Amino acid sequence: MFRHFTNNSSIVITTLFLGVLGLLSGTGLCSPLESAKPTPRHESTNVILISLQCLRADHLGVYGYKRNISDNIDALAKQSAVFDDAISQANLTPVAQMSVLTSKYPRVNGMVSFEVAKDMVTSRTLPEILKYYGYTTAATISSPEFFMRFDTESGALINPGDVFSRSFDYYGRTARGPQGTSIRVAPTDAFQWLKGNKDKKFFLWIGSGLLHMPYSAEVPQPYQTMFDAPGYVPFWKRLPGLDEDVSWGDNPEYDIFSRVYRNDFYWGFKPIYHLNEDDLKYVNGRYDAGVYYTDLYVGELLKLLDDLELKEKTLIVLQSMHGDDLGEHGIFFHYDVTEPVIKNALIMRFPNGEFGGRRVSEQVQGLDVMPTILNYLDIPVPHDAQGKSVIPLVRGDKDATGSEYVFIDRMPWWEYTLSKWYLELQNASGAKFSPVESAKLKEYRDLLQTSFDKLGYPPGDIAVRTGEWKLILRMNRDILEKVSWWRFITGTLQPVEELELYDLKNDPGEYINVAHKHPNIVAQLKSKLLDWNSRVEGQKAVYKKSDKRYIIPYP
Amino acid sequence: MSSYDSSDESQHEKMDRREFIKRTAIGAGSMALSVSLVGCMAGKGMNGNAATNAVNETLPLKYKDYNLVFVSFDALQAAHVGSLGYSRNVTPTIDAIAKDGFNFTNAISTASWTVPASMTWFTGVYPSEHRLTNKFAVFNPPSNNILSNLKKLSPNLVTLAEILKQNGYATGGFTGNAGVNGFFGYDQGFDTYFYEKGKFGSMGVSIPKALDWLKENKNKKFFMFLHGYDIHGQGIPEGGFDYRFVEPGYDKRYTGSKEEQEALREEGLEKGRTTLRDEDVRFWRAIYDEKIQRTDAKFKKFLDELEKMGLMDRTIFVLTSDHGTEFHEHKRFDHGFSLYDELIHVPLIIKLPKRTDGKIIRDQVSSIDVMPTILDLLDVNVQEKTRKQLRGTSLSPAFKGQSAAKDVFSETDYRLYTFKRSIQTREGWKFIYTMESKTGELYNLKSDPGETKNLVDVERKIAYELEHKLFAHFKSIGHDLNARRWETGLNPVYDSQAKPAQKK
Repeated sequence: MFRHFTNNSSIVITTLFLGVLGLLSGTGLCSPLESAKPTPRHESTNVILISLQCLRADHLGVYGYKRNISDNIDALAKQSAVFDDAISQANLTPVAQMSVLTSKYPRVNGMVSFEVAKDMVTSRTLPEILKYYGYTTAATISSPEFFMRFDTESGALINPGDVFSRSFDYYGRTARGPQGTSIRVAPTDAFQWLKGNKDKKFFLWIGSGLLHMPYSAEVPQPYQTMFDAPGYVPFWKRLPGLDEDVSWGDNPEYDIFSRVYRNDFYWGFKPIYHLNEDDLKYVNGRYDAGVYYTDLYVGELLKLLDDLELKEKTLIVLQSMHGDDLGEHGIFFHYDVTEPVIKNALIMRFPNGEFGGRRVSEQVQGLDVMPTILNYLDIPVPHDAQGKSVIPLVRGDKDATGSEYVFIDRMPWWEYTLSKWYLELQNASGAKFSPVESAKLKEYRDLLQTSFDKLGYPPGDIAVRTGEWKLILRMNRDILEKVSWWRFITGTLQPVEELELYDLKNDPGEYINVAHKHPNIVAQLKSKLLDWNSRVEGQKAVYKKSDKRYIIPYP
Repeated sequence: MSSYDSSDESQHEKMDRREFIKRTAIGAGSMALSVSLVGCMAGKGMNGNAATNAVNETLPLKYKDYNLVFVSFDALQAAHVGSLGYSRNVTPTIDAIAKDGFNFTNAISTASWTVPASMTWFTGVYPSEHRLTNKFAVFNPPSNNILSNLKKLSPNLVTLAEILKQNGYATGGFTGNAGVNGFFGYDQGFDTYFYEKGKFGSMGVSIPKALDWLKENKNKKFFMFLHGYDIHGQGIPEGGFDYRFVEPGYDKRYTGSKEEQEALREEGLEKGRTTLRDEDVRFWRAIYDEKIQRTDAKFKKFLDELEKMGLMDRTIFVLTSDHGTEFHEHKRFDHGFSLYDELIHVPLIIKLPKRTDGKIIRDQVSSIDVMPTILDLLDVNVQEKTRKQLRGTSLSPAFKGQSAAKDVFSETDYRLYTFKRSIQTREGWKFIYTMESKTGELYNLKSDPGETKNLVDVERKIAYELEHKLFAHFKSIGHDLNARRWETGLNPVYDSQAKPAQKK
């Protein structure tokens, strides 16, 4: 029923074993629920899922990065199966990660925005299924997306038990770090939890938000500034007059970089500064310092597993929830479905060195993580899972395939969060706007609020990716142009293409839209994409009307 | 799971207990009587086994060119049959055949109402596959209604009657119309197929028709399907009830009419439960028993006629029912809308000619196995393609004392009111999944034969794995339950329901 994969010699032994059992029992009528298989893996294997927010695969040594910042992850990768083409289902953190935990597309599991109600997602989650099989489940999280909610009526910050904490016996949320500006710290409470629970059969989900903008805000010295160029002064400190409008405070990068479009920094609807090489180096350096510090954290974790003698009975899956744009396209954050945002690190270390050193070049996706873990543990994969186990690929089965087409939902970020929260309350608590912008804020907020429907699912931007091509379809191009954050900060309409086709082999940076050059490919991919879209619409989650919703605050 | 020992012996022991609980729960008879009945039955099974097994195993169990009489007592709940442990003597004729034949005490129907359940006997496939799952394939009032029809819905399926006809059998069906009327394609392969339009017809009518036909065809080898609605809620005895089993002093809130029956069913559908008092439930069971007893008597006369014609030694009998009926066990009335035991546990008796060495077979089997069993026994030529059509397996190993126990699957899309699928395992777990609400129910039939304690949130691993198995089963027969949306609606089953819908 469930494929129990193992090396060849144990297959032989297994077959012999089953044969003897069959003879002994005569009829061979074992109970299907307790058949005479070898001990299923879920009886003694722990699972640690390390999910790193904003981790770009191409900033790790194992994926070819030149700056040496990931010794520990690279060493882990050597003992692991490494996926070279792992794609996330969405650009937004909670949306992409819920697809990982449920193996369902965002619209199917219901997690489509930053607005979350307690019982919004009813799909089975990975920890829920593992609990059926006797796992102790724990999460230690430093991404506010997974536990922080903002009451849009009262303005209060609340921590409701909700869709992500469901089925966790322990759900650890980090507090603000030593620098005091962010909760996006290394989730070291995982170490304490492991020490206290090492004798249990466990599933531990470690979610780190440390890599999120503002980069390295909570990375201690000497690491925070380790890659800063000597003498470099951030551009916003050099711009005359800027500080007269508002006081930027210690860590303004979130506000600063959200105003960069095509590497122009906008203030008062005007491009007042163009980012140069040094500025980009600085941002990348701060980002890399975060990776370096995260890598140290992973190293600590691995060492602890060795010390606790858990290594050989623990499956480790390390994944990016999604990546981040670092200015290649003149923008930052995870605003769109660009390659830096959706192409993930995915590394799986199996117990006893099994599959160590395997590289998988086929395209796989976030949806595959849960089926893979369950498959490895000899637990049935949910019948409605939309991903598939990649174990056959890892094992090198002859007929194993990846996902030829990966489908991606783009969720507007600023446009959405701004309409619900940022413009009203974050502004009151100190979001930065110039006087001319402030005058337009109400108008902009009203525009946003009338443009998105009540459930918050935005007019769809969808994409399909193969190993060679990516097609992005903006189904409601004109609405996007109208509500666009870029339009607001630049003060002028920024055209949005309805169709973008990128040749990922020859143009991995996605600089040239070749939709006009390849009408046949566009037609083929578009029809796949629309088929998928209508299929997903047909399976869309239905919400209970009474659910009170809370929004995830930023930053 | 470890509490379930799957070895045969303990299974039998536990099944006896399950049956015992069921019988006492039905509860019309006294405790003492139930106990003694259990004793009897267990005794027969055990004492008979050693001796009869030896004989059975030497017999070929092939009955080439024998006749087949297939009888459906529509809506006969297993718990009301004497040979399945009922204490009130209402089925003496059926019981006598059960005693001489093979009495399957755990036979589960693939569906809980007539239209889908009966077609499974004749095609050997699940309702999802023969697609005769509702009266209308398209219900689009007022004028675009398309009645379901086997040939149109599943043109490639071959029926039992067609196969037997190809093998030289005279084929005749004599039925009570309604759910098995010819328009649905139930007549496919029959030389003669009788049904009185517009009626829930009685064996009082179908038996004489059947006997007339037999007089013409008794010298040929023949296959007869005999059916009647006498026991069904819409069946009323000729001349009315004599209320022979109604307890004295009942305040006559109900009279037993078919209108009352229909109103109770609709109340249950609309409100989720019927409001019946205990004495009303006893009344309805008494009415039911009267119908069963009268039907059993009619059937005895039918057998007497066959005896006179000298057909008994050349004829295999299959006695069964398409589904049971509910008497408020789960707070509703009638059938079709759920997959609880009272609706899908049916009698199944196979009587082989010239043999009185039958036995009780407690292995759980399905109505999906009936057609392969018949084809096996009659030893007819079946084309490879048709053989592949059959989803069940022949039960003849059970005749020889081998295990036939299996996991069984049932389903109902009753009037589009609900969409349910269930799996019942050999070990005694039952999992029911309701598609439109995506909710599961899990019952331990051994400790809770009445299915009153839903364990879906207690035994979560078992529920999860059974849900997995259930979906995998339907996927394996070409019905991915996740591939469509399950929207409930109204698809009438009686004319009285179709008319108001058409007016709208």
